[in-house]
Amino acid sequence: MPRLRRWFGLAAFALILAACSQAPAAAPTVEPTALEPVAPTATVQTVAAKDTCVECHTDKEQLIQTAKPEEVKPKESEGVG
Amino acid sequence: MAPLEPWEKVLVNADFMTSTHGQAKCVDCHGGQLAEDKDTAHTGMIPDPSEDFEGTCAMCHNEQSAGFDQSLHSSLEGYKTIIYSRTVPENHPAIEEAFANHCSSCHTTCGDCHISQPDSVGGGLLTGHLFEKTPPMTRTCTACHGSRVGNEYLGKHEDIPGDVHFRQGRMNCVSCHTGASLHNSDEQSAGHRYFGEQLPACTDCHSKVGASSDPIPQHVLHGEKLACQVCHSVEYTSCDGCHVAVSEDTGNPFFKTEGTYTTFFIGKNPLQNEYRPYEYVTLRHVPISPTNFEFYGENLLPNFDLLPTWAYATPHNIQRQTPQNQSCNSCHGNPSIFLTADKVKPEELNANAPVIVDEVPPAVPGQ
Repeated sequence: MPRLRRWFGLAAFALILAACSQAPAAAPTVEPTALEPVAPTATVQTVAAKDTCVECHTDKEQLIQTAKPEEVKPKESEGVG
Repeated sequence: MAPLEPWEKVLVNADFMTSTHGQAKCVDCHGGQLAEDKDTAHTGMIPDPSEDFEGTCAMCHNEQSAGFDQSLHSSLEGYKTIIYSRTVPENHPAIEEAFANHCSSCHTTCGDCHISQPDSVGGGLLTGHLFEKTPPMTRTCTACHGSRVGNEYLGKHEDIPGDVHFRQGRMNCVSCHTGASLHNSDEQSAGHRYFGEQLPACTDCHSKVGASSDPIPQHVLHGEKLACQVCHSVEYTSCDGCHVAVSEDTGNPFFKTEGTYTTFFIGKNPLQNEYRPYEYVTLRHVPISPTNFEFYGENLLPNFDLLPTWAYATPHNIQRQTPQNQSCNSCHGNPSIFLTADKVKPEELNANAPVIVDEVPPAVPGQ
């Protein structure tokens, strides 16, 4: 009886080993499907508003061109103010 | 100081864009609108947004802005205190019109000191719109305070040296007149710069003067009888009669001063109080006359004699050695440096009775 038990245990162990060594199941594969062509859509881009104040007021030549000539006021005051 | 070219007045330094104040858009403070065309861009533009300092500068600079509307640079209350003392309520409308035409241009905004030059010297940005915490003295302070304080301090009078605090101390205005005192005026000073506490007082720095350890016996001897300027100032500017009017030809307001000259006179203190206990002070003639405002009406200053025309003065031309402190008798027994009656115009004797020195301090024997 002990010999039979031993052979049974060995058989069970062999069975377990065989189950573990089985190749994993193959992963399911997805067949690529042809994509319908999609027309490109226009993308919205944010453009910073041009700072015309800075553009002009940091441009010496432009300021010279656009400066209003100063009105020369007659000097009517006399003496030290 | 040469006026700026028109383009120079508005040329913005590119560095301004990266500064704290430059983070806002121009139109956020100045109004107007973003446009290529200059006239369109400038429509509705506010040249000096700091005129409404509570809506602009005060949003961040709470401490400096609190009470700024009471500061003398903003309110010009000092002028009004003096002028209104010489008139009566029924003349106020005429005086207000004159004030608006001829005096109110001295009203100072935050930007008038920290960003641009005063309009009185043509205006324009100081340093390309960069904000100057301590603006250059000669382009702001003495641009307005020029004919008396500026010229005296900088030594622009022929043969009269500039103030030692400038010549040797290399001190600018804010070395003594701190931002705090310029941004605010306490309740007393809000009416006139000489009403409240002395800001600054000489003893703020020269604390040992008059103390028992002071090596100069004259300081201890005279104590608080003499204002510091009595011994340490030299000749300074006086003016006569500033008459104002509006030109019939151009419609521009203008003034005519009868005369400007240098004097040094010691007189009685007309503003004696706890902060100015002196018996003798330096006096300068101010350009007030009964007919200053005659363009706006007759007899607008009926109480002319209520205040002296030789006014309490603090000349900014301090020297260590002066003619009057060479010896005791350079001052004592020397009527030429005292405001005696013979030096006052007859029509102004009544007004100046409180300041005229009737008896010159006698000469000191053996000195």
